[in-house]
Amino acid sequence: MPNCKLRLNIILPVIAIFSSILQAQTVAPAASAKKQDAPKVTHVPDLSGSWAVVGGTPSWDPSDPRGLKPDELPMTAWALEKFKAARPPFGANATFEAVNDPVQKYCDPPGITRLYGYPWQFALLQSPGVVYMLYEFTGLWRPIWLDREHPKSPDSTWMGDSIGRYEGDTLVIDTIGLNDKTWIDQVGHPHSDALHLIERIRRVDQDTLEVIVTFDDPKAYTKPFTGKRMFKRSSSPMEVTLCSLSEMQSFDDEVMKTTTVTPKK
Amino acid sequence: MKSKLYTLYLATGLLLASSLVSAHHGTSGYDMEKVTTLNGTVTSFNWSNPHCLVRIDVKDSKGDVKDWVVELAAPTLMTRNGWTKDSLKPGDEVVAETHPAKNGATTGLSGASTSILKFVVNGHALPFR
Repeated sequence: MPNCKLRLNIILPVIAIFSSILQAQTVAPAASAKKQDAPKVTHVPDLSGSWAVVGGTPSWDPSDPRGLKPDELPMTAWALEKFKAARPPFGANATFEAVNDPVQKYCDPPGITRLYGYPWQFALLQSPGVVYMLYEFTGLWRPIWLDREHPKSPDSTWMGDSIGRYEGDTLVIDTIGLNDKTWIDQVGHPHSDALHLIERIRRVDQDTLEVIVTFDDPKAYTKPFTGKRMFKRSSSPMEVTLCSLSEMQSFDDEVMKTTTVTPKK
Repeated sequence: MKSKLYTLYLATGLLLASSLVSAHHGTSGYDMEKVTTLNGTVTSFNWSNPHCLVRIDVKDSKGDVKDWVVELAAPTLMTRNGWTKDSLKPGDEVVAETHPAKNGATTGLSGASTSILKFVVNGHALPFR
């Protein structure tokens, strides 16, 4: 009986290091690569901690959070074709059969916005020049650079290139450079490599984090749209839940296929 | 071995369905409006990703033993709900609630991140919510 609940033996010391950094959060971010006239940040809101999703609705469409009318997002013809081919776990087209969800089928990284929909926690670690987001699900992490602009021609990657700034009590994250291999949600909505994300993260109160995401992807959607998720501060220690393809395939054989086909009498 | 199987149709099935949506594969293969109570003997408990699995030998109404596979949440999420890898072991007598497969297979869904159906092991209830 393998125990795949792995503690963050490597990450926790890092958390300890960054905890000391968090004590000095009133300093301005390093301005080495910023423009000379960039506004000086005098207050950094404390967003640190581990956060677990509340509710976890499968779609980012604010008018259809459960994904029961997923074709109502304003998709381009390119995106609609991809969406119709998707066989997702949630929403109106939810299925156990011939699943082609890249996470279930290949253990692909879920992508930044889909990660917000899983029941596993993420942690925010703030330092003067960079904010780190650590995700329990599949052990992913990403930096949000506070001290530079985007590269002029970023590579297309699973996590993209994220830069951030503080606006009052909100961390505003701007991300480009994403590949088009992930879904934006749990109901199979696609995106292109032109996706431009704006995440606005703020602490509503001591124990509540609000994440508002704006999707701007002219190749896939005819107009931008914005969704929101809420998170509660968690006292549970951060863990790692990895995605193992062999475990996923074993589960598929033992449960998914059995629950799909008509059983023999 | 006690060996009965009960099925309860829930008027509040949609409520339960919404509370179990966190399984990575969704719930479309299961009848979330139905709760079946399995009364049998544990043959294995696999504490593993993506979902913990319990195999239970359950006698049906004809006296035939059926091998049920009951799905729970991932180990990290089960731990947060008070379970451990030692919560079940082969030979344990269990009374377990589950949402059965729609296709009639002897598979069921009993737990996700925010909800675990009732599991009584050798007369003692495991944490559920």
